[in-house]
Amino acid sequence: MPISFAEIQAGHSFPPVVQSYAQPAIDHYALASLDMNPVHTNEDWAARAKVFGIPETVGHGMMTMSTLASVVTRAWGVIGKNGGSIRFVDAKFTKPVKVGETVTATGKVKQKHYFGPGKNWVQVDVEARDATGDLIGLAEVGYNLPD
Amino acid sequence: MPVPSRLDRYVETEKQKHFSRDFMIGWERYETWDEATVGQSGLAQRTFEITEEDILDYNWACGETDPLMIDPAFARQHSPTGELLQHPVFVTTIAFYSLGEKGIGTWIRTPGARNPQQRIEIVEPFRYGEIISTTITTADKFTQRGKPYLQMLLDFRNESSVLKARWWCSLILPATRADVARFANA
Repeated sequence: MPISFAEIQAGHSFPPVVQSYAQPAIDHYALASLDMNPVHTNEDWAARAKVFGIPETVGHGMMTMSTLASVVTRAWGVIGKNGGSIRFVDAKFTKPVKVGETVTATGKVKQKHYFGPGKNWVQVDVEARDATGDLIGLAEVGYNLPD
Repeated sequence: MPVPSRLDRYVETEKQKHFSRDFMIGWERYETWDEATVGQSGLAQRTFEITEEDILDYNWACGETDPLMIDPAFARQHSPTGELLQHPVFVTTIAFYSLGEKGIGTWIRTPGARNPQQRIEIVEPFRYGEIISTTITTADKFTQRGKPYLQMLLDFRNESSVLKARWWCSLILPATRADVARFANA
C-alpha cells in the first residue's frame, strides 16, 4: 500500500512484475495501443525485414515501458488511496524483446525530492530483464507521495 | 500487406473497429527523418474521445489485475475519480489514433523504426468524455553512432485546453524515403 514521503526510504523495493511477451500478448497490446507496426505482428514480414537483426517479431517498446511503470503503479496505485499519484515515466530500451520471452521487472526507490508540503516526490529506478537475465529496459518513475 | 487475421479476435473497441491496421498503406506519405524540421508544430489529424472501453482494453493488454483498472462497476464505487484508472502509458493509444497517416509526426508508424527511449509526464488523469487534441512539435533531430534519431513532443489537452499529459516520443528511423521503402517492400 502507498506510504508517506516521510516514511519512505531510499532502497525501498517493490514486488517484481512478470509479463509474457508471447505472440497473443503482443497481438493484444498492438490492438489496445493501436501500434500496428508489422515488426510486432507479422511474422513473415519480420522474418524478411529483420529490423533488429533477428527473423522474428518483437514486443513493443511501449509494452516494455508499461511493464516497467507497472512495478510502481501495482504497488502504490496509479492514484494511491492516500493521495499519491504517478508523475512521469522515463524509459530506455536496451535489447529487443523477442516473441515468446518472459520479462521480469523490479524496482527500488532511488531518490527523494523535497519540493515542499504537498509537492514531494520520489524517483524509483526500475529495470526489466528477459529469461536469460539480460537487461532489456530500464526506467525512472516519478511518483508524488503525500507528506 | 495483409494484416494477420488472427488479430481480429482482439478487437474490442469502436476505435479499433475503424482504425486502419495496415501501416504499410500510405507509407509513401509518412514524414521521414530527412524531411523533419525541428520546431515545426501542428495539430494531429484526429481528436480522441476518452471512453471507458479504450482505457479498459489498454489496462487488460498490460496485464493489470487491480479492479480499479479493469472492473468498471468497482471503479464507479471505489475509484478516486469514479472511473477506471488508466495506465500511465495509455497516451500511446491516443497518439497512434490521433496522428493519422500523413503530415507531421507520422514517422511514428514507420516500418523499420526502432524504439530507443521515451518519456511520459502525467499532469492529471484523463476522464470519460473528454475530447483530447494532440499538438505535435518536432523537438530534436540528431545522429548518434551513425543512427538517425527523431524526437517529437506531444501535448495532450482536453476541450478546455487543460494539459493532461506530455510525451517526448523518440525513434531511430530509416533516414530517407528510399530507406523506408526497403523495409516497406521487404
